[in-house]
Amino acid sequence: MAGKAIWKGYINFGDVNLPVKLHTAIKEDRIQFHLLHKRDHVKLRQQMICAYEKKPVPTEAQVKGFEVEEGKYIIVDPEEIEQTAPEDSRMIEVHEFVKTEQIDPLFLERVYYLEPDVSLKGYDALVGALKEMEVAGICTWAMRKRYYLGALQTGGKILRLTTLRYADEVISLKSLELPDIPLSEKELQIGSDLINRLTAPFQPQKFENEHQKELQSLIEKKARGEKIVILRPRRLKPTASDKLLQALEASLKKVA
Amino acid sequence: MKTRAPVRGTPKLSSHRGNEAAMQGIWSGTISFSLVAIPVELVKAVDSGRVSFRMLHNKDYSPLQRRMFCPEEETMVPPDEIIRGYEIGPDKYILISDEELESVSPERSRTIEIVEFIDMEEVDPIYYDHPYYLVPSKGGEKAYRLLVEVMRRTHKAGLAKFVLGEREYLVAVYSSEGALALITLHYREEILPDEDISPKEGKSENEEKSRIKQNIRKMMADFDPEKYADKRRKKIMDLVKKKAKEKAPVEAPEVEGEEGEGPADLVAVLKESMRKVKKNR
Repeated sequence: MAGKAIWKGYINFGDVNLPVKLHTAIKEDRIQFHLLHKRDHVKLRQQMICAYEKKPVPTEAQVKGFEVEEGKYIIVDPEEIEQTAPEDSRMIEVHEFVKTEQIDPLFLERVYYLEPDVSLKGYDALVGALKEMEVAGICTWAMRKRYYLGALQTGGKILRLTTLRYADEVISLKSLELPDIPLSEKELQIGSDLINRLTAPFQPQKFENEHQKELQSLIEKKARGEKIVILRPRRLKPTASDKLLQALEASLKKVA
Repeated sequence: MKTRAPVRGTPKLSSHRGNEAAMQGIWSGTISFSLVAIPVELVKAVDSGRVSFRMLHNKDYSPLQRRMFCPEEETMVPPDEIIRGYEIGPDKYILISDEELESVSPERSRTIEIVEFIDMEEVDPIYYDHPYYLVPSKGGEKAYRLLVEVMRRTHKAGLAKFVLGEREYLVAVYSSEGALALITLHYREEILPDEDISPKEGKSENEEKSRIKQNIRKMMADFDPEKYADKRRKKIMDLVKKKAKEKAPVEAPEVEGEEGEGPADLVAVLKESMRKVKKNR
């Protein structure tokens, strides 16, 4: 089952007006740990400490500051910050449509399913139009005191709304400053052949979270008082630049 | 790089921290495919754009630091006195050390082993979770370059599983503008079914559909995320600027030694970044 409906709004562009309900699409279930004090196994909590006095500071003695230069802050009142929060408007306003393939995955943040609300009218038509044209609607809305940027898309029979990161939240690859190293055509050819040989259809059901199960069994072993064998991770020896072609050829032979 | 020009009354226009901070490694290890092994480092690809305020002490305007605190002893607890506990009852825990945790899948905690390649177009974007970049470590530059280039030529992405901290991730590694991007993927069972909210019997609304298509055609554009700045962030920045004109900034006292806000070891770096990742969801 899809997650609970968390918000209601309506999609708006041109003369299209479509009421929808947002549902969460992802549910993560994982083993949770607490952080304890080694000595007495008391559960620790986080505490704000004054860097200067090295003492705990209670909430009422904490203020928000914006750093204007090293060590200098403008104090801002939380109530004034609160006032910058938007009112919920219920309108998911589509500003433009783009080809879906143009959206770099780095921008995608969180997916919601959209369920038709009140009436079904126009819902299937919009699903069909977006699917056939392979486009996504770039939209904005205000929900829970935040402005959101999103992409309206289809997945199967339903509409999905994916929140998008703002441009300045995505770190530019230019800042990585990677060296440009020449490669021989032979290396590239063998490398490409190898990748093609190792290609399979994407089958997500093949991949299970085995680690979660192994971690669960580790906890059970410890609960029974069994000794845990410590295994050290091993680092693979890097392939040396002058051995790259050799490694590629040997790899290709292995899969051939 | 702390050569900022002195500012009087006007805060820096960008609410965003520099990229140097973002380039801090989260994890270092090896990415491998078949018999080729490339030493790499995992770095952030995205950084939350929320305006970063710092919490200060109202008495001396010194920045506050988040520390682990033992409520029983009322003392700060240094990292080497902290242990992970799995709760089995009220105040009853099974203790798990870092070494024990790493022993769960040691082979996958230092290696991102690409087990197969896929067409990225086959991946439903609903699987995408969180993006990172991989950068080559010393000695890995050439093989890294090769993997980037052949994945670009073949339009393929590598699938791998690897363990980071308490979790095992399924990841897709792909070529993006001359570098390797890595996206963690959700497992199949984490994706909720949508059948229960799908409209029953698909009605054919052909007329409505062509009308919508006409609307869409009129609104086609190129994807340009730069156009959409966060309105709230702008409002907050305006507020900060207004405040800066009214009042001079307060000054924090000098603190001896390293501030210690940055975590000391890799496990802590990783935990910190994972905590942020979780918080940003």
